[in-house]
Amino acid sequence: MPTAIVTQSSGRIVHVRLVSSDTTDTTVAPEAVALAAESGTGAAETTAVVAAPNPIAPTPKEIFWSAGSFFVLLIVMRYYLFPKLKKGMDARYADIRSDIEGADSVKAAAQTDVAGYEKQLAAVRVEAAGRIDAARQTVDTERNAQLAQVNARIASARADADAQTAAARAAAQGQVAAAVAQVATKAATMASGRTPDASVVQAAVAAAMESAGSR
Amino acid sequence: MEAIARLVSAEMTPAELKNNAAAASAGYAYGLAAIGPGIGIGYLVGKSVEAMARQPEAAGMVRTTMFLGIAFTEALALIGFVVFILLKFA
Amino acid sequence: MIALDFPEINSILVWKDLFPSFNKIALIAVLAAVISITIFLLAVRQDHKEAPKGIRNFAEVIVEFIEDGVVMQTMGKDGLAWTPFLMTMFLFIYLCNVPGIIPFFQMPATARMAVPLFLALMVWVIYNVTGIKHQGLLGYFKSTLFPPGVPKALYILVTPIEFISAIIVRPFSLAVRLFANMMAGHILLVTFALLSEALFQAKDKILIPVGILPFFMLVFLTSFEVLVAFLQAYIFAMLTAVYIGGATHPEH
Repeated sequence: MPTAIVTQSSGRIVHVRLVSSDTTDTTVAPEAVALAAESGTGAAETTAVVAAPNPIAPTPKEIFWSAGSFFVLLIVMRYYLFPKLKKGMDARYADIRSDIEGADSVKAAAQTDVAGYEKQLAAVRVEAAGRIDAARQTVDTERNAQLAQVNARIASARADADAQTAAARAAAQGQVAAAVAQVATKAATMASGRTPDASVVQAAVAAAMESAGSR
Repeated sequence: MEAIARLVSAEMTPAELKNNAAAASAGYAYGLAAIGPGIGIGYLVGKSVEAMARQPEAAGMVRTTMFLGIAFTEALALIGFVVFILLKFA
Repeated sequence: MIALDFPEINSILVWKDLFPSFNKIALIAVLAAVISITIFLLAVRQDHKEAPKGIRNFAEVIVEFIEDGVVMQTMGKDGLAWTPFLMTMFLFIYLCNVPGIIPFFQMPATARMAVPLFLALMVWVIYNVTGIKHQGLLGYFKSTLFPPGVPKALYILVTPIEFISAIIVRPFSLAVRLFANMMAGHILLVTFALLSEALFQAKDKILIPVGILPFFMLVFLTSFEVLVAFLQAYIFAMLTAVYIGGATHPEH
């Protein structure tokens, strides 16, 4: 017959120990009874306390209830709720997919339209560019012709002016040479009393003018 | 521990002695059981983070595998915890 | 000083019967089933043609999470037939975990060995039956006990290990993982709640402000338990998928 030793603190059970009667320590039983008497509970009540259940042992009623509710949930889910939900989802996804495909075909049509338009645009652009090029070429040739004309006019005018300048310079040089020769002849006559040879004077004047011009 | 047990054994019943030994070894059981899985989980998560940083596009797969690995490693520590409960309270 | 007397362990784990043989754990399990069925019934009622919103959106998110996050990651396209089973399992475990942090329940049903043990044994039966169905009795045992690609001499070592791992350790660790995680979380919450209560009501007035520390820890642990509740349900469904996938397609 096992005896239960109950340790209590402020009315709460703190510790329960079962001691079998054939324990070698014989002093336990009277002590336990005394303890039980002290704490105010009767000895009969003390022995009635059963050992605490193992905290991690599975309890049959809990297994029963959890298994029952799990299987109910599983059956309802597997055969009614999930297929229905999944069917709805699949239907919607199929809708969305067909919508996307429709949109894709519309997009493809639009893209071909855009491509045709762009082809036309490119053709027009090429034509316009050709026209612009032609116009530019005509403008260029006209401008070049006019430019050449004007250049020629300017060149002839410059040549005329050059010729006039050269003629004027030659005339001036001739007058200057004649005057210098006259002065030189006169000076030589006054200095030496005889008239120098005209060719010699002319050569000297020409040499002097040349050296002056070169300086 | 044995010396202490022998010292106090004079005033203790064998059942109390057994209870005390169980309470002490319960602590050891959990503490020792937590060492290996602690190292293991640290290593595992560290390596997973390394892999995720190196290849962010594979992060989802690495995370799934990491959780599985943690679950397996952690089981050891949890068994230690159950042993602790068994020793201490059962 | 302050002495904290922790309650007897069974007083925070074992619950009295509300009705004969119907306690809080049974109530939570039944509620989990009822809540899941309610959510999906309301979702199914809605028009499926238009864009999903509200509860239907929620239900579809769960379905797609199981399809993309669990089935496709482990079993591939062939495993999509297992989606309703895995989703039921995920929902049931999650809704059994979450009452651990909901006021007035304050107890995860999975913190009692009954729920995880039942689920793990069911998974064990299912993956073994699936394996035998797909590969034949001999083929299934050959592919699990004699994994290919191992030198012949090593089979003496490998076969017993594989046998113990596939037949004994898998369901055991599956059950213990869920159970111990939830029970550890529950005991931690109880500990910190008791500690902060004891400090807030301490006779020594100087100890009262100290009570804020375990209280913050309690808040943090509560939010951590939200994560754990989800993660454990996810891992349980995931491992179930891995085991079933391994039984249908060997060396995968």
